[in-house]
Amino acid sequence: MKKASLIEIFKVFFIIGIQLLGGGYVIVPLLKKYIVDERQWMSEEELVDYFAMSQCIPGIIAGNISVCAGYRAGGILGSLAAISGLISTPFITILILANILSSVVDNKIIQEAFWGIRISVIILIFITIKDLWKKSVNSKFTYILFLLIFLSLILSNISPAIIIVLSAIIASVYTKLNKGEKNA
Amino acid sequence: MLKLYLLLSYEFMKIGLFSIGGGYSTLPFLYYIQSKYQWFSVDELTNMIAVSNITPGPIGINMATYTGFTSAGIIGSFIATGAIIFIPFIISVLMVKLIDKYKTCNALNSVFLGLRPAACALLASIGIKLLYKTLHPLAFDYKAVILFLFLLIPFSFIKKNPLLTILMGGIGGIVIQNI
Repeated sequence: MKKASLIEIFKVFFIIGIQLLGGGYVIVPLLKKYIVDERQWMSEEELVDYFAMSQCIPGIIAGNISVCAGYRAGGILGSLAAISGLISTPFITILILANILSSVVDNKIIQEAFWGIRISVIILIFITIKDLWKKSVNSKFTYILFLLIFLSLILSNISPAIIIVLSAIIASVYTKLNKGEKNA
Repeated sequence: MLKLYLLLSYEFMKIGLFSIGGGYSTLPFLYYIQSKYQWFSVDELTNMIAVSNITPGPIGINMATYTGFTSAGIIGSFIATGAIIFIPFIISVLMVKLIDKYKTCNALNSVFLGLRPAACALLASIGIKLLYKTLHPLAFDYKAVILFLFLLIPFSFIKKNPLLTILMGGIGGIVIQNI
């Protein structure tokens, strides 16, 4: 993996912050484009791993996963540069526009644009799954696990944090049992 | 003023520590702060949540910056945002360090064997839930279906660019709603 300068890390995360519209999950396709594909600061597997683990630690997911990606790119200072870059946009937006923002919210055009953005976020999410699928769901065991988790998330309101911890336990037990069989 | 700053950093550090998963998990804490300190009114809070949804950046961070600003000005927004990311920052860095340390360990690799499909399933369930909400069969919105299909075809097959997808969604939304 390449090491990057702090200014470069800050800049990239600043750009990502500007494009982060329509909810935190958009961070995954953005990191895939800017960090994995264009700069190779981390691998696709690492992106998926950090995304999963960011769900079960405290904090805002987009923030946590940026700290992880920043660390990959440039150690602890890289993490600082990444999170500073990411939060610069909200800062600038709110400090400059605080007084007019509340009147903008009710604007008809803005409402219509965000109605459209919510639909494009759905498409972004499915494209991201398609990208990450090959490295994540590639055996009988992972297929079954995916289906089980998917159904339980759709049919109940179970917390993602619990799901992630459970699937880690299931996979550990499965690997143990599998090894036991091979040794026997 | 100093007391306000200290309270602000204490309350937002608490949000950072206890909000697990997604920016919306900070909402109950913000309502709690509202009722305890009255730094802002319920109406202001509702408005700030709406604004956080349309301004760029993670929603949780937007809300911290905005509520901090409303409570105690520019310094307040610095304190609130710094406090909300402080503990998660340390935990995230420790987490990556631990992963690096045990990278070659088989136990950790079998954990990842489970985490990766779980991450995909999580994204898929969010996608399906959003899709269901947008294209709800009882309140069938043909305009949403048209925009969805219109965006689906170019962006899933030809060009993969997150910003372009978002922008086209926004423009498409304005156009379709006004036809």
